[in-house]
Amino acid sequence: MGHGSIAIPRRYLIAALLTLVLLSAAALLAAQPSAAQADPKQGASPDVQFSQQLDELKKSFSDVGRQIDESAKSIDTIKSPEEGRKSIEELRGQVAKLLDAVADNGEISRLGGKALALAEEKLKSLDRETRFKPEEKQYLLNRWRELRAATETAIRDLDGARKDFADLLRSLQTSEDYIDELMQIREHEKALQVIHQLSEGIRDASTKLKKLLGSIKPPGV
Amino acid sequence: MRAGPMALTLLALAGCNQGGTGYVELKTVPVSAKVPPLFLDADRVDAKAGVTLLRQAVGTAKLQAEGADGKVLLCHVVVKKNRITTVTLSPMERPPRCQCERASGGEGAASRTCIG
Repeated sequence: MGHGSIAIPRRYLIAALLTLVLLSAAALLAAQPSAAQADPKQGASPDVQFSQQLDELKKSFSDVGRQIDESAKSIDTIKSPEEGRKSIEELRGQVAKLLDAVADNGEISRLGGKALALAEEKLKSLDRETRFKPEEKQYLLNRWRELRAATETAIRDLDGARKDFADLLRSLQTSEDYIDELMQIREHEKALQVIHQLSEGIRDASTKLKKLLGSIKPPGV
Repeated sequence: MRAGPMALTLLALAGCNQGGTGYVELKTVPVSAKVPPLFLDADRVDAKAGVTLLRQAVGTAKLQAEGADGKVLLCHVVVKKNRITTVTLSPMERPPRCQCERASGGEGAASRTCIG
């Protein structure tokens, strides 16, 4: 070790490395679903998995919706721009949970596409089917048409939700940037106004989220 | 001196907080234009006509299009935690051109950077 470099005692390095290993292990455990959670979906067809995921999504969205409602209430009472910025940052985190679930490269979108492809494939193969009596074949065709229609509706609802959540996140980040600019020129009062005006947009998003929770129906349920 | 291990532990914690995810919103104009195969870093992107919203790890990603001569760099996309970076693509141009809602860098694809 050359002159001028800082010598770190070995025991400190070991302590830091141990901390790093423990934190990495904790992060890995948090990132992986437990076996109990993963098992029921294994082997299920895409349409069943899509329905299960939509069910879970509704539950988690209702929790996030409650948090967003609370944020809308608390944002009205904010007294300083710094406090407001912190609230907006937290809100972005909540909206991100919603967007994570409905992103185009997310699990639900992928399953929705697969479920739709399966319904299309089933309808084609049933059309060529000769084993069943005409009324049996018709019954199966009707059921798969219903499933396809329900899947298409759920996918459309998710598309709408994605757009609404993206608009809300964009509005939050633009407001945050504007507040930052206002703070730089010490326009604290104006920044506070911008923060208070946000609560209207957040309430609107919350209403849309509740509407989505009421309308979204897992196919086949 | 107890500051040593404390500082190192804080450094380790700071390292863990560097991650997270943000979003890349790809808009194609006109909506009816056929989008060539796109890649965000190594991942193939199934871009829809209109708007595609992708979850992406925080950092700077390369947006590339696959053409007859292989992958062509369209622009860089800076992804920040829980923020959206919007990129508008004009697939009618050859190669498709990135238009950034908020940009840094120069005009050429190699230096054009969209920020969120």
